[in-house]
Amino acid sequence: MQPDGATPVLELRGFSHTYLNGTPKAGEAVRDVSFRIHHGERVGIVGATESGKSTVADSFAHLLRLGPGQVFYKGEDVAADGYNRGRLRREIGIVFQQPDSQIIEDVVGADVAFGPTAAGLSAPETRERVEESLNTLGLPYPDYRLRYVHALSGGQRRRVAIAGVLAMRTPVLVLDEPMAGLDPRGRKELLGLLIRLQRDRELTLIVCSASLTDASLLCDRFIVLDRGTVVMDGPVREVLREADRLAELDITLPEPVVGAREMRKLFPDFPTDLLTEDELECELLQRLGAA
Amino acid sequence: MLELQRNVIFGQFVETGSVVHRMDARVKIVVTLLFIVASFLIDDFLGFAVLLPLLVAVGVFSKIPPGYVLRGSRFFIAFLAFILAFQVLFYPGDVPESSYLWRWGILSVSTEGLYTAGIIALRVILLYYVTTMLMLTTSLVDLTNGLELIFGPLQRLRVPVNELVLVFVIAIKFVPIFIEEMERLARAQTARGVPFDEGGSLTRARRIGRLLVPIFISGFARADTLTIAMNTRNYRGGRYRTKLRQMHASFSDWLALTLVVVWIIAAWVV
Repeated sequence: MQPDGATPVLELRGFSHTYLNGTPKAGEAVRDVSFRIHHGERVGIVGATESGKSTVADSFAHLLRLGPGQVFYKGEDVAADGYNRGRLRREIGIVFQQPDSQIIEDVVGADVAFGPTAAGLSAPETRERVEESLNTLGLPYPDYRLRYVHALSGGQRRRVAIAGVLAMRTPVLVLDEPMAGLDPRGRKELLGLLIRLQRDRELTLIVCSASLTDASLLCDRFIVLDRGTVVMDGPVREVLREADRLAELDITLPEPVVGAREMRKLFPDFPTDLLTEDELECELLQRLGAA
Repeated sequence: MLELQRNVIFGQFVETGSVVHRMDARVKIVVTLLFIVASFLIDDFLGFAVLLPLLVAVGVFSKIPPGYVLRGSRFFIAFLAFILAFQVLFYPGDVPESSYLWRWGILSVSTEGLYTAGIIALRVILLYYVTTMLMLTTSLVDLTNGLELIFGPLQRLRVPVNELVLVFVIAIKFVPIFIEEMERLARAQTARGVPFDEGGSLTRARRIGRLLVPIFISGFARADTLTIAMNTRNYRGGRYRTKLRQMHASFSDWLALTLVVVWIIAAWVV
């Protein structure tokens, strides 16, 4: 099937997964998860720990055992016989939660080159992509190319992991807790970078996180998971309106929303669908003016 | 590929709360050692046939699903079959002309060769089965304590029992960790376009070969981390440690031990 505007890039239909199914160590991770993601969307998959975010992320690139009829990429069942999984993985880039689970080679340059090389790119092309990806992530190519990965700090390793995926230039980018372990400045830089990349390359961007702090600025839509099932799915502001429910689900709320919930003690109808401090301030000034 | 843990269960512990799990760890270790000795003493099919019901009983009482054990032994059995094929084809013993079933140059299949290979197979399977059952039904802590208590008296002869037990237990428990590590590496490479779930078996084998060096590197890194973790918690050998839970062998433990001894002797004598 040829993808058109109406065919979702990714679709899960009643996706369920149990790790080590049929053994005494079986553990159910997700149950009956369904949603569609369209080209160019910026989606946040949010939920507390053990809500199934990482399992959902892995399912996109068929990184776990899948039954047929559950995961579709551009309308095609990725678990069907003879489906080209190699191509699927060249089009869906996943940045894992732990950079150490992702990094394969011991030298920075070699690791970033792993994806392009596996895709069969020529040496000069690979080099160009490595240089570009490292520079984009604030790891200057000449300085970092030959550095050993294990000698880098946690934050730098995370950047290397992201660079390794960016170098593959996938039209779909999935990031699992990309901000974990970064300092405030690193987070701000990464946030800006992701917004820019998504816009310039028309990426379909999927971010998994237990915190809405950065996700609310990065995404247009949230899919909220709780213990393996979808409990909310909608535009960011619509989901933020249910701030109390999100808090109950152990999801970290963005600062303005935390502030707004406090304000509800004074103004019971104070809205919680606020993305920035400015919006909070504006809303507050209006209320005070009215009072 | 991605759930390798299904196919290799060696070194794993599965809690089912069964009678076998609740047995005194020392008794389980002694029983395992007895079975190991038995595997060398018994040299005919009848002896192994006598042992079979006892081994099945251990499996049933442990409440560990047999399908899980079988599937988890796939690699082991495949490897064993491979080795034994050589044993049969290059059988070195004296063979009377009449017992050759097939011959081609130095390769041959003879009844003697098949018999010997069969006995070796049963010995190795017995060894594998009892050690696997011991580890499936005994937690790491119980295993360590049990071994330390059994071999404790050797300390008087200046044998560093605690250190040896620690090294042994860590070595065994590293098997599942290595398997996890292998899964992790395979997943990382798959995600970046080197598929471990595609291609013929030769291509797959070659890809697994490429994981070996990274696995050893991460193994050393893990050992380092473990050392630091133990040092920061002031780990010292067992002589300076007291136990929260003392082990007590009950009547049923002695009964089980006696039963196994008698049974093994019966299997040996017949």
